Amino acid sequence: MKIAVIVFPGSNCDIDLYEALKTVCGADVDYVDHQQTSLAGYDAVMLPGGFSYGDYLRAGAIARFAKIMPAVKQMADSGKPVFGTCNGFQILTEAGLLPGALKKNDSQSFVCKTVPLEVVNNQTIFTSQYQEHERISLPIAHADGSYFADQATLDELEKNHQVVFRYAEENPNGSLNNIAGVCNRAGNVLGMMPHPERAVEAILGSTDGLRVFKSLLENGTVIAEG
Amino acid sequence: MTTVRIYVTYKPSVFDPQGETITNSIHALGHENVKSVTVGKFFDVQVEGDQVAATVEQIAQELLVNFNMETYTYQVLEEK
Repeated sequence: MKIAVIVFPGSNCDIDLYEALKTVCGADVDYVDHQQTSLAGYDAVMLPGGFSYGDYLRAGAIARFAKIMPAVKQMADSGKPVFGTCNGFQILTEAGLLPGALKKNDSQSFVCKTVPLEVVNNQTIFTSQYQEHERISLPIAHADGSYFADQATLDELEKNHQVVFRYAEENPNGSLNNIAGVCNRAGNVLGMMPHPERAVEAILGSTDGLRVFKSLLENGTVIAEG
Repeated sequence: MTTVRIYVTYKPSVFDPQGETITNSIHALGHENVKSVTVGKFFDVQVEGDQVAATVEQIAQELLVNFNMETYTYQVLEEK
């Protein structure tokens, strides 16, 4: 299974994602520059955290126009795994690949800490190695992470089990329904504000994020081999 | 050339944390008669030709506004 980590101007978690996959999981992974136009040969694509295009206009709004994005959309439409964390999540919503939007934290502050989460849906290709309702802890670091969608969209998300992660105990940013991560209807596109790539080795303080990548590698290999 | 100012704000139904914080600060200054503040952004756009309204609406739809959470209005500032 071959994985692409997209590098936008202003990405700053691209190395974390790459190393989590390559060094920790032994995956076959490449950096792909935002000016490329093809993802031919890749089985999955990851959009990293950071501040692409300086968060101009809205977080993720300008990255939508990057030359690589039609190829990312094509991957999503063809059912291949597409993952975005933090700014990557914001880009996926702005690009219309995931429902809803990320707005400014209710607190008006940049929040940087490790928070408890509930794995709400362990039936996705990204979460199959977690237990249903398992409690994990992952780092968050964002100013625009308050998940918002209209009531009809929230109802649809809940009904279709598209809420994958929820903040447990405390809601750090004002996200509706305590949503920390959602997937598309088909389940192959996941966006989440927490950073699993920052919790993949004991020396980092936690390995709770590791199974996101292990799940993807396990299930993605099956998908790639058809 | 027409200069149009496009205003983008959160929808009234969406909590505006900046507006709330600023309102609280204004109250701290003693201006209790200020009941609310809405924070948004504006874009001054210069458009050539006669397709002004259509162009403004299109760029608002396609880029400037995220309709999940935002709304917009615009006014013509200058025509020459």
